[in-house]
Amino acid sequence: MFRFCAIGLVLLAGWTVYLDAVVTSRFEGRRFEVPSRVYARPLELFEGASISAGALERELQLSGFHKGAGDNPGSYQRNGGRFIISTRGFSFPDGDEPARKASLTISGDRVRNFSVIRGEAAPIIRLEPAQIGGIYPAHKEDRVLVELGQVPAILPATLMAVEDRNFYDHFGIAPLSIGRAMLANIRAGRVVQGGSTLTQQLVKNLFLTRDQTLLRKGNEAIMSVLLELHYEKDDILETYLNEVYLGQAGVRSIHGFGLASQFYFGQSLGDLDVHQIALLVGMVKGASYYNPRRNPDRATQRRNLVISEMEQAGLIEPERAARARGLPLGVSERPSYSENRYPAYIDLVRRHLSRDYKEEDLRSEGLRIFTTLDPAIQYAAEFAVTDTLPRLGGAKLAESLEATLVVTSKDSGEVLALVGGKDPRFAGFNRALDANRQIGSLIKPFIYLSALQRPERYTLMTPVLDKSFTLEFDDGRRWQPKNYDGEERGEVPLHKALSRSYNLPAVRVGLDVGVDVVSDTLTAFGVDTPISQYPSMLLGSVSMSPITVAQIYQGLATSGFNTPLRTIREVTDANGEALSRYSLEVAQVADSAAVHLVQYAMQETMQEGTGRSAYNTLSQQLTLAGKTGTTDDGRDSWFAGFSGDLLAVAWVGRDDNGATVLTGASGALPVWSRFMAQVPQHGFSPVVPDEVNYHWVNTERQALTDEYCDNARLLPFIAGSEPTQTVSCSGTLERRIRGWFEGLFQ
Amino acid sequence: MKIKTTFRTGLIIAMLTLAGCASGPGGGIYVPVGGEPAKAPEPPRTSTGEDEAPVWRKSEQPAEAPSEQEPPRTSSPSYSETGEGLSPAALSLVREAEGLLKRGDTSGAIARLERAQRIAPRSAEVYFKLSEAYVVSNQLGSAEQFTLKGLSLAGNDTRLQRAGWSLLADIRRARGNVAGADQAEARAAAL
Repeated sequence: MFRFCAIGLVLLAGWTVYLDAVVTSRFEGRRFEVPSRVYARPLELFEGASISAGALERELQLSGFHKGAGDNPGSYQRNGGRFIISTRGFSFPDGDEPARKASLTISGDRVRNFSVIRGEAAPIIRLEPAQIGGIYPAHKEDRVLVELGQVPAILPATLMAVEDRNFYDHFGIAPLSIGRAMLANIRAGRVVQGGSTLTQQLVKNLFLTRDQTLLRKGNEAIMSVLLELHYEKDDILETYLNEVYLGQAGVRSIHGFGLASQFYFGQSLGDLDVHQIALLVGMVKGASYYNPRRNPDRATQRRNLVISEMEQAGLIEPERAARARGLPLGVSERPSYSENRYPAYIDLVRRHLSRDYKEEDLRSEGLRIFTTLDPAIQYAAEFAVTDTLPRLGGAKLAESLEATLVVTSKDSGEVLALVGGKDPRFAGFNRALDANRQIGSLIKPFIYLSALQRPERYTLMTPVLDKSFTLEFDDGRRWQPKNYDGEERGEVPLHKALSRSYNLPAVRVGLDVGVDVVSDTLTAFGVDTPISQYPSMLLGSVSMSPITVAQIYQGLATSGFNTPLRTIREVTDANGEALSRYSLEVAQVADSAAVHLVQYAMQETMQEGTGRSAYNTLSQQLTLAGKTGTTDDGRDSWFAGFSGDLLAVAWVGRDDNGATVLTGASGALPVWSRFMAQVPQHGFSPVVPDEVNYHWVNTERQALTDEYCDNARLLPFIAGSEPTQTVSCSGTLERRIRGWFEGLFQ
Repeated sequence: MKIKTTFRTGLIIAMLTLAGCASGPGGGIYVPVGGEPAKAPEPPRTSTGEDEAPVWRKSEQPAEAPSEQEPPRTSSPSYSETGEGLSPAALSLVREAEGLLKRGDTSGAIARLERAQRIAPRSAEVYFKLSEAYVVSNQLGSAEQFTLKGLSLAGNDTRLQRAGWSLLADIRRARGNVAGADQAEARAAAL
């Protein structure tokens, strides 16, 4: 018997040692987790920098500057357009930016009279970047961790009052409570009561399964005692606050009060009111059973019980308790999973981190992540979506509409702003990345680019046939594409077919150059998923996310240079040591000359074609290029286009893929134009490639002509493909005179 | 060693051009927001008459605007014969990068040049400088691409063109692309 006991004791000791190792390693991993700090791009100030006075002030405030005399580091003074800014200095991955005092004037949305008046002189300074969020890159999801010192004191007090009154006195388990619970369970003949301490509940959350076996109970008790031996009560409590299970969203578990506060109320834990804290504490007993969204009555009862406990424990006054019991649950309609201000953008940052950086690097804590987010552009993009969407297609439709907007810097591929839905603060389905929708006519520039890369066969002037036809497949199926307006126009010049987005010429040209060639062009420009080889792809039956559309349009905007989209400039560890850097890359994927011709037709789209209503909102001086896209029954409304500085892709549609009355021009274009109208920028004016020459031509006669002739159009041609014939015209004298003087007075 | 000597010509030429980067401000006009009050956006027009024959896929010519009634053109597509120059701010960053490059800090130099690129994204010089930095760090593939990008923005500036084509010829030769190098050299010589 003694021997038997001894063996048992040795086994138990061994088991305890094993559990001890499990407990300490796991607990350590959870305890001191420091989030990675995510920064916006730093604002660079220099003579001529493009920014409005309002945007500069917003940016200063976002970076934590105080308005004042502008003398102390971290403060600024504004007097109309005149600013005096005292920077704090910042340690950037590529070097330190010293503290300085600078003065400047904003005039015509540009920085003027820039000078450093204190500190090291420099023609350019960087403000400290705004911190836009905190993430835990090693985790697949956003976490919202809280520190004990930061949570409202009433939360842990209530928690203890309800779940474990003697928390600060017991050693991990409370035999008395267990005895009481056992008695109750025996009486009932089943498990009705738990006598778990907070420590035991934490152990259960961290290490164990949910089933209630005796062996598990034993392990739980040993581990709880071990945990208490190793750690302070406050450490255990803090970890509990961050680990407790408080709900489920699909496959995703909601752990911790910080995240639960966002998930149920869309608020930070520190901003919660008594009745909200009571609800969360009440849910500890059974997050699913007391789910306030699904079982509001049950949840209210439980919450009010907790409020009474708070009252009894003297945590709140009776009047306040009574008032709290009378309040509705106050749960937000839609769950949010993040407390980051720009959830859609941060989502993309997270994906780029896992794409571009090694996982083991990301496991180190307290990383600093320098992103490309431009707060001023993001502000304008969010405004464009939230302001325009309610006015599209009537109030009833507008309610069901969603929208996304992706904005990138044209030549660097940096993602400057991202709006993932009509509620930009909502962290959930990120349409900008995950909504794969048919792109409709956005595909047409790629069809014509494929054609124009064969200058011996196609020029912008080449007549293409706008006439219906039927395609019969081997299996007997027939396909008969049509134009949107049902009209057929006979022969139209290629540039016009693209700028007016006629369907029939696009399909004809696409079939002539080959569906596989168009598909190769798309792949070269950055589509990384398989592309349908059916002819219907020529009318955009290909599905893409808005971010992919932005990627492929980048090549069109930059004369054929593909620039991988990036959100991250640099990542450093907590000591400022840079992790591997992800640099600017360019790769020529198409002949610049052919792209230049497509850019011409895309500018024509804005001036004469399907995009011209943009100029109802925008200044005529801002030259732009773009393309509309619409799919069957207005299910998707797209607009992709660019200025000299920015590329933006807007999408409007319904999540259920339902029909709308919108076209690309009446849905996405207003959102796009509204955005563009708020940002000071350069017009689009591409440099003419070497091999391209502009000629005045008569497109109907397929011949060179004189500038002053009626129907004369200045078209770019790849050298050798220009027409050889010339037609002259009499032209009116007035028109001729205007032609002679046109260049002089511009 | 041989590669280094060959490169010297290209680098020197590119540096020379930088000194004379007073090229005029080509490119698009800067359009401030404050200067021109934008008109209130026109309420989007929507047509509900969806009674036409079934269509496989639509495009979006507004049905109410057949081509005969299109508004007259008010402006033509824009283009520039010249690329853009470097602003003093961008130039100061390029100078810093040159200093770092001399001291062998290529990644520091590239970081400065990328800052310059963000300020002057349509200036051929910035891309030629990036190309040089990549040559020094022996990433010739990237160097070639940045040279091509620079050339696409050089416009009709023959000095920039010549520098770019010479640089390209050197890089291609170092990469073993003799035909490509000869072609680039011929382009430089023809200017």
